[in-house]
Amino acid sequence: MIQIRNLTKYYGKGESRFKALDDVSVCIKDGEFIVILGASGSGKSTFLNVISGLETMDSGSVSYDEKRLEKMNEKELTRFRRDNTAYIFQQYYLLPHLTVEKNIKMGADLDHNRDFFPAMEAVGLADKRKKFPSELSGGEQQRVAIARALAKNPKVLFLDEPTGALDENTGRLVLDYIIKLQAKQSFTMIMVTHNANIAETADRIIRMNSGKIVGITENTEKKTAYEIGW
Amino acid sequence: MIVSVKDSLKLFGISIMTCCAVTVCNLFLNYYLDLSAIAALIDNPAAQMFYDAQLMTAKVVCAVSGGCLAATTVVMLFFYIKHYIDSHSKEIGILKALGYSDFKIAKDFFVFGLSVLIGCLAGYLLSFMIMPGFYAKQNADGYLPDMAIRIHGILFVLLVLLPSLLFAFISVGYSLLKLNQPCVNLLKGIVKSKGKNRDIKNKNSFVAEMRCSVLRSRKTLVFFIVFSSFCFSAMIQMSTSMKDLASEMMGLMIFLIGVVLAFTTLYIAVISVIRSNQKNIIMMRVFGYESTDCKRAVLDGYRPAAYIGFVIGSVYQYALLRIMVDIVFAGVEGVPEYKFDFPVCFITLCAFIIVYEGIMFAYGQSMKRISLKQIMSD
Ligand SMILES: Nc1ncnc2c1ncn2[C@@H]1O[C@H](COP(=O)(O)OP(=O)(O)OP(=O)(O)O)[C@@H](O)[C@H]1O
Ligand SMILES: [Mg+2]
Repeated sequence: MIQIRNLTKYYGKGESRFKALDDVSVCIKDGEFIVILGASGSGKSTFLNVISGLETMDSGSVSYDEKRLEKMNEKELTRFRRDNTAYIFQQYYLLPHLTVEKNIKMGADLDHNRDFFPAMEAVGLADKRKKFPSELSGGEQQRVAIARALAKNPKVLFLDEPTGALDENTGRLVLDYIIKLQAKQSFTMIMVTHNANIAETADRIIRMNSGKIVGITENTEKKTAYEIGW
Repeated sequence: MIVSVKDSLKLFGISIMTCCAVTVCNLFLNYYLDLSAIAALIDNPAAQMFYDAQLMTAKVVCAVSGGCLAATTVVMLFFYIKHYIDSHSKEIGILKALGYSDFKIAKDFFVFGLSVLIGCLAGYLLSFMIMPGFYAKQNADGYLPDMAIRIHGILFVLLVLLPSLLFAFISVGYSLLKLNQPCVNLLKGIVKSKGKNRDIKNKNSFVAEMRCSVLRSRKTLVFFIVFSSFCFSAMIQMSTSMKDLASEMMGLMIFLIGVVLAFTTLYIAVISVIRSNQKNIIMMRVFGYESTDCKRAVLDGYRPAAYIGFVIGSVYQYALLRIMVDIVFAGVEGVPEYKFDFPVCFITLCAFIIVYEGIMFAYGQSMKRISLKQIMSD
């Protein structure tokens, strides 16, 4: 369970000090699939970065069961990320000089996961394993990023607009992969998106505005990636 | 305008390099010319022998240090230009897509000659500052008649103006060569997958794989690392022998030049390997790799190159001094016997290990401080 209490985050100093997160509290259950919706600049990415331990908070607390992020130093945070989380960015951030399989190995190694072939196969990249990222299409690159994160067998998966740069077909394909894997392996999944349709695939939807949570809705009728509009 | 004057100023490595080269060359060439002018005043055989040896030394030192430094400057310049084009490939790609010709983009690289000009000018002035002391030391025993320092215009042209122009043209030419690739490759930042892509061995860890690829993708840096430890090893060992063979002043000069060059090149190499791998380091940290893993992946691949450079440096300085003593000073009296100095070599090696590993450790620590948020900034 991820317990987030009174989370506040400022950017900048003095005159230009800006409250990016304003007293955010929410509790996320294990194995839950959460979608975070909100306008551009509403603090979604900031929220994700803070609760995943990529960024520090100014006040409040984030606890994973007994472990409290705000009490950890840099070394403990690194260890925490290694053992618990995986992150998928909108811009993929693959390592350009390494082939597909070596990129995936980056995630797999941390779990002492010698057999990362299934993860590669799951995203349909088994035949492209010797290629370099620059030789792949945008959708293929995104799938490498996904396989890399999944090969780590994370307990919590964070996704920041994973389908933002993809066309409808590839977007649905990628989303379908992720949702099915989450259902099967039942890790916790927190996804940021600006596409309200995607929210219909989640267990719960968190809406944000100006750094605040303005609504949390339970989604009773979960749809698949192919049933939603785009 | 893709390249600005400010970019040229960032090439301080080149300025330092050329400054050293011009200082040494101008010092010895000026001395050589002033010596030549007094050839008629030498009246006894002992003085004649001393005089000839002095002429020879000036020529050898000039050729060796000048040539060596000039070659390194060229490599460094190429490295900077390639690095610049790689890291600005998107902007350059957009310009090419808009219809700018290669030459129109490349001609801006002319300003890189500025960094050479600055270095040369500084070196030229510096050499005149140390010249009086140098002249006095060279003729400490009074074999030669008194010599006045004269300023030779030709040296200013040869050592300052010509190199600056030459390097400016080399910059344009080389960047033309580098820009000659499909526009889309520049836009997508496609890196040529050089060499064979070795099959993944499951026993190799990711960190080991990463280390290989970092090394392969930045081969020029291997040269810099070798050169850096070469300078450190050769110049420091040579400086102790020079103290006995020539003068303390020569020893000190060589020591200083060696240390400056070693640290400049090492700094350039390490900073650029870290900068160009910044995103990769951040991704590793996001995934939970510790900073020591990042250091092992990004920096440790260069360690063999550093130690190889050290060995080459030791051999080189021995060979060079052997030649000087056996050939140049052959027949000159009072030249001390020269042998390979093992204790000095050992001490230099220890100093090298401490300095090199210390610097690498410090950079490894600095990877901790790279903000993970930086990856989202572009
Ligand atoms: N490093 C920073 N320094 C200052 N302000 C920042 C910084 N990062 C984000 N902000 C500000 O914080 C606010 C929230 O940013 P955030 O990236 O969380 O928005 P977002 O909801 O993810 O938007 P988008 O949908 O466009 O990605 C924005 O107003 C942004 O300008
Ligand atoms: Mg965002």
